[in-house]
Amino acid sequence: MWTGTEGDALADLIDKFNASQSDIKVVGTSNPDRQSQLASLTSSKGSFDISTNASIGAWASKGVITPLDDYIKRDAYDLADFTPVAQRLSQYEDGYFGLPVVSGTYGLLYNKTLFDKAGLRPPTTTDEWAEAMEALTVEEGGKLTQLSFGGMTPPYRMLGMAFGGQWYDEAGAKTPSDPGNIEAAHYYLDNVIKPYGVGAIQDFQSTWGEYSSADNAFYQGKTAMAIDGPWHCHMVPEFAPGFEWGVVPVPYPKGEPELEGSAMVDVNCLFIPANSQNKDGAWEFMKYLVSNDAMESFSKAISNLPTRMSLLESDAYDDVENFADFMAIARGDNAGGLPPDPDADEYLSDLSRAEDTFTRLKETPEEAYGKVAKSY
Amino acid sequence: MAHSTVKGSRGRAVSPGVMFSSPWIIGFFAFFAVPVVASLYYSFTDFNLFQSPTWVGLENYRSLVSDELFRKAMFNTAYLTVVGVPLGQAIAMLIALALNFPVRGQPLYRAIVYLPSIVPIVAATYVWRWMLSNQHAAFNDILGVVGLSPPNWLLDPVWTKPAVILIGLWTVGGTSIIYLAALQQVPQQLYEAAVVDGANTWQRFRHVTWPALSPVTLFQVLMGIIASVQIFAQTYLLAQDDNLNAGSGGPADSLLTFAMLIVNKAFVYLDMGGAAAMAWILFMIIGALTAVVLISSKRWVHYGYE
Repeated sequence: MWTGTEGDALADLIDKFNASQSDIKVVGTSNPDRQSQLASLTSSKGSFDISTNASIGAWASKGVITPLDDYIKRDAYDLADFTPVAQRLSQYEDGYFGLPVVSGTYGLLYNKTLFDKAGLRPPTTTDEWAEAMEALTVEEGGKLTQLSFGGMTPPYRMLGMAFGGQWYDEAGAKTPSDPGNIEAAHYYLDNVIKPYGVGAIQDFQSTWGEYSSADNAFYQGKTAMAIDGPWHCHMVPEFAPGFEWGVVPVPYPKGEPELEGSAMVDVNCLFIPANSQNKDGAWEFMKYLVSNDAMESFSKAISNLPTRMSLLESDAYDDVENFADFMAIARGDNAGGLPPDPDADEYLSDLSRAEDTFTRLKETPEEAYGKVAKSY
Repeated sequence: MAHSTVKGSRGRAVSPGVMFSSPWIIGFFAFFAVPVVASLYYSFTDFNLFQSPTWVGLENYRSLVSDELFRKAMFNTAYLTVVGVPLGQAIAMLIALALNFPVRGQPLYRAIVYLPSIVPIVAATYVWRWMLSNQHAAFNDILGVVGLSPPNWLLDPVWTKPAVILIGLWTVGGTSIIYLAALQQVPQQLYEAAVVDGANTWQRFRHVTWPALSPVTLFQVLMGIIASVQIFAQTYLLAQDDNLNAGSGGPADSLLTFAMLIVNKAFVYLDMGGAAAMAWILFMIIGALTAVVLISSKRWVHYGYE
């Protein structure tokens, strides 16, 4: 699934693996298209033996991914070093269907220059954050020229978690109307959308450039903050050298310090398709990719976080600017993720749709999330 | 030719013919007939692509009726068709009339008008996306020059569909060329007779040009409708955000067309049954629209010049 820089980093590891032993020969293919992955998974003979994807829940539930528990037991493979959240997200219904190779987590990225100019420090509580939002939004002649954060599609998943919201309960049922999610939505609407209006924000957003480019609104100073992941550690040197930025955990509601450091973690799992023709070989290669050394060089090359606690605590990444801050967030007790869910794709689409509706102030968050809740 | 010269029993006469056409026959069954029948079957099943389908009767069709997204996709597609097709035909006809004037350099103008039609649709849509965005504001600067306040083409749900229609109009040259060919078939003596009868420009268009163009108009309207209700590439590319696999429908789902929803259902939500049901509904809609246009054509299409 990886291309570009990611593909190159993976190719290096494949070469090393092939050189390290003579039984298995791995041939890498780069194919970022999920449709062709699907096509291969449905055929009787798979065209690939190992791959990564986020849809573990959807595919495991349909029996197209090889369960790994037998392999783990056979080799007495030690999973203890993987972070708790990485372990959780690699499992579906208590069985392992993948091994976590890299992960991402989200922090509050801020533009140091704009913060210094406004005499602000990065916020730690949502109250301070709201103040920063007001101070860092600039209107000139009825038009926005700088927005504090967000836009029409802010990261509501992450915001909800910051307010203690849950998108799934312990049993895995969908809980879009969780009070924390609703509170987060109102917080965003009250501090960003309502003061300036949908039209003004929409007009300003239409001047933003592509995300993966030097025109990224955050690099251009069009937004002062962003909730985003560690990949900026390699995007900034590539697209915006000299750009001064920092990372802090997403602020928590004042008076609820137990929510400090709430962070969403995405995990990228390696999996073996059920129709693989060489499962044993794929398992060996999988173990290699998640081994300490391979994980270190791969995660570093693509600025994703390692999923091993020992690496998250190591100094291997010290030369990457701001990476340590992301690692600290990922180590925190409040790092969580969305569990593998067979309907994840549809649920997330429904949530985005509901969020689009209330961000446009056509419905309240209660109504929009309520409708999603009712449909499951 | 070969068929008529083969002598002997009927069986022997047929077999070489079947043999020669077998590549087509096999292709027809393998890639057309069987999948079509299969999709009809899948539309009555719960099918997720991986596990065997289970029969659910009319459930897929029934659930579409109450599906808000389905209604939205119907509306968006209808909007693009009802506004886009007549507008496209009218503009194509006007351009064809202009290209029919005997002026110097006419072949060059005709080539220029046709040129956009040969640009690959994906490349063209991406260029338009870039032109319509306010980041560079190429198109809106032009609107500003003529004193129009530029809309937010790509983010305002009210303007996204007009943006798609605008992109469609850019390639109207293909339609114009067919109108132009038809115009050149109109017998000159009809115009001369009309002038003798004292017909003015409008009357000559209304009573000579328009009836003469009506068979071609019928064909083009039908093709236009069929293309429009299946529109996918332009809306999909305009609605696209960073995540290529997500089923985005653009701002407030204003770009979610019928075909996009089919793709989302099939390949994002893995609901092949629902997607197949939608595809069959689309097929029936196209059939019904074609029938309506063909029946109505008895009133407005004129064949021959007698």
